[in-house]
Amino acid sequence: MTFLQKIKNFVRSRSIHVAYVDVGSCNGCDIEVLACLSPRYDIEQYGIFVHNNPREADILLVIGAYTPGWEEKLRGLWEKIPPPKAAIAIGNCPISGCLFARPHTLVDPPVAKHIPIAAQVPGCPPRPTEILSAILSVAPTVFADYEVNGK
Amino acid sequence: MKRTVDVSIPVGPVHPCWKEPARVKCETRGEYVVSAEVELGYMKKGIERIMKGRPWQEVMFLAERVCGICSVIHNMVFIEALEHISGIEVPRRAALLRVIVNELDRMQSHILANFSYCYTIEHETLAMYLLDVREKVMDQLERITGARVTCAYIVPGGVRFDLRPEDAQALRLSLSAIEQEVTRYTDMFSGGPLIALRSKGIGILTKEAAREAYAVGPTARASGLGDIDRRLRHPTYQSLGFSPVVRTEGDNYARIMVRFQEIVQSIGLIRKCLDELPAGPIRGGGIPGAGEIAYSGEAPRGELTYFVKTDSAGRVLEISIQTPSIMNIEACCHYMLKGVSSMADVTSTFVSSDPCIACTER
Amino acid sequence: MKEALYEKDLTAMKFTILESRRHDRMVREIAADLGIPHLLLRRYLMENLDMLLLENLPARYEQGKKFQEGLPEVERALSSHLYTRAVPLINERVMDAIVAATKERVAAGIPLSEAVSAGKAMVRQVILR
Repeated sequence: MTFLQKIKNFVRSRSIHVAYVDVGSCNGCDIEVLACLSPRYDIEQYGIFVHNNPREADILLVIGAYTPGWEEKLRGLWEKIPPPKAAIAIGNCPISGCLFARPHTLVDPPVAKHIPIAAQVPGCPPRPTEILSAILSVAPTVFADYEVNGK
Repeated sequence: MKRTVDVSIPVGPVHPCWKEPARVKCETRGEYVVSAEVELGYMKKGIERIMKGRPWQEVMFLAERVCGICSVIHNMVFIEALEHISGIEVPRRAALLRVIVNELDRMQSHILANFSYCYTIEHETLAMYLLDVREKVMDQLERITGARVTCAYIVPGGVRFDLRPEDAQALRLSLSAIEQEVTRYTDMFSGGPLIALRSKGIGILTKEAAREAYAVGPTARASGLGDIDRRLRHPTYQSLGFSPVVRTEGDNYARIMVRFQEIVQSIGLIRKCLDELPAGPIRGGGIPGAGEIAYSGEAPRGELTYFVKTDSAGRVLEISIQTPSIMNIEACCHYMLKGVSSMADVTSTFVSSDPCIACTER
Repeated sequence: MKEALYEKDLTAMKFTILESRRHDRMVREIAADLGIPHLLLRRYLMENLDMLLLENLPARYEQGKKFQEGLPEVERALSSHLYTRAVPLINERVMDAIVAATKERVAAGIPLSEAVSAGKAMVRQVILR
């Protein structure tokens, strides 16, 4: 690994831009992601910046159990994110559908069918600290040596 | 024909300021909004279809997941509807504990709504202050119920856990800290000249329009409709001497101020409950039976109605949920947004009505 | 026909909204009042109203029914407020014309029920057109 690559890896692990998208949840996970912004959890001290703009994001937090309205749109949103990128599923809904995956439902879980998911945080809803630690542990691993073995 | 519409600007579904996806299509003349149309369907989970034919023990948890922000009131209204159907009595201590938890939930929901508004008008300092206070409220909620969100605290005939004396002590301490901070932030909000520029006189909802769209909750109370508060018809709130907060301006500023005032009011209600809290059982017991009812309660966003029909085994045969956000967002998009003078005010007006798309679509 | 880039066909989702129990009951009530098949009325609603208004229809309908208790006899019998402001089925100007025509008939000595059913036929024509 070159010295330049080392610098890149270090910088990337300290500047993670996050966008979140709700594809049909109960809102509980949304507000736990929002709670991460609060001074208590202080997501920005780890170099994570929640901007909610897919075009400049590195990490996409997917919340919810994939409703019919998101067909084509979630895929398009995923393609708008410039590489290197990773998606993290927050909560039980994108993993299994949680209690929405029952007869007569409209949702179509898991989200992994539609876009590649790098990590999953179970919980209904997960605590803000769990979301935080998931982002922090996934991002450096996914983005490390992108120029060498990525693409 | 004279052309009145310049361009149709869609906002959303993914927007940096909104927590949830919705799509507002604004017909504009210059930047002046002539009319707005909303496209939903991004959150439709079909929760009423899932609930049909399931036992109440399962529907209880599904009802909470209609909305994650105001989950306690969904739990409370569904359970109280069952109690009214089968004539189950609730001990006084449990009834007061329900009010405590419900008011804590209302506080965190209102703080979150005001945070969203401050964030949207880009007053980030106040927004972060508010989010910090919210964590204090969440701590108390977690201390009493065991969970931050979706706590399933209320069960037929009572509540799940008792309030220990040390919890009550911690609650009182925390309440005075929260009250101090919220009062300070209310002054910051009402005294800020730049906030007033972005909020006063924008997105006006008149009393007549509020009545016509059947707006509820803080949105309607900011337009001068006080009698629509369902807490006035709840026996426990009646015994606590509740009276609603009403303002008459009907603009963004009034809606946010109503929420600030209600937070302080909720603190007062919780204190009163703690003072009056008698010793005794927290669960009276009872089994839900057959019947049909339309039961309403006051959610943080307004009147929430459950139309429930059960059979003798307690299975839910038919259910229909009318959430407050449906009426409020509709009032917002078809009345408030008309005549808003710039696109930046579209997002802030939309957020000021405290939209919860998960509620709206279920 | 040119297709808009981001527009989607919303018919299926609008149908899911109208399928719910309260919406269904409301659609059937209005259809019975006007004397048109409820499937046609449902299609008319889906074509003309946006999704949020569809979600809110039962609440508006109940509120409109309460409001029209205080209206004069002809307006109440024709549900003029209900079908223009609360559930926006037809244009207000069209409704005003229908109400005026009905009032003229009543003044000319035609019994109220007959005049109202003629007025409702006019409402029906506007919807089915």
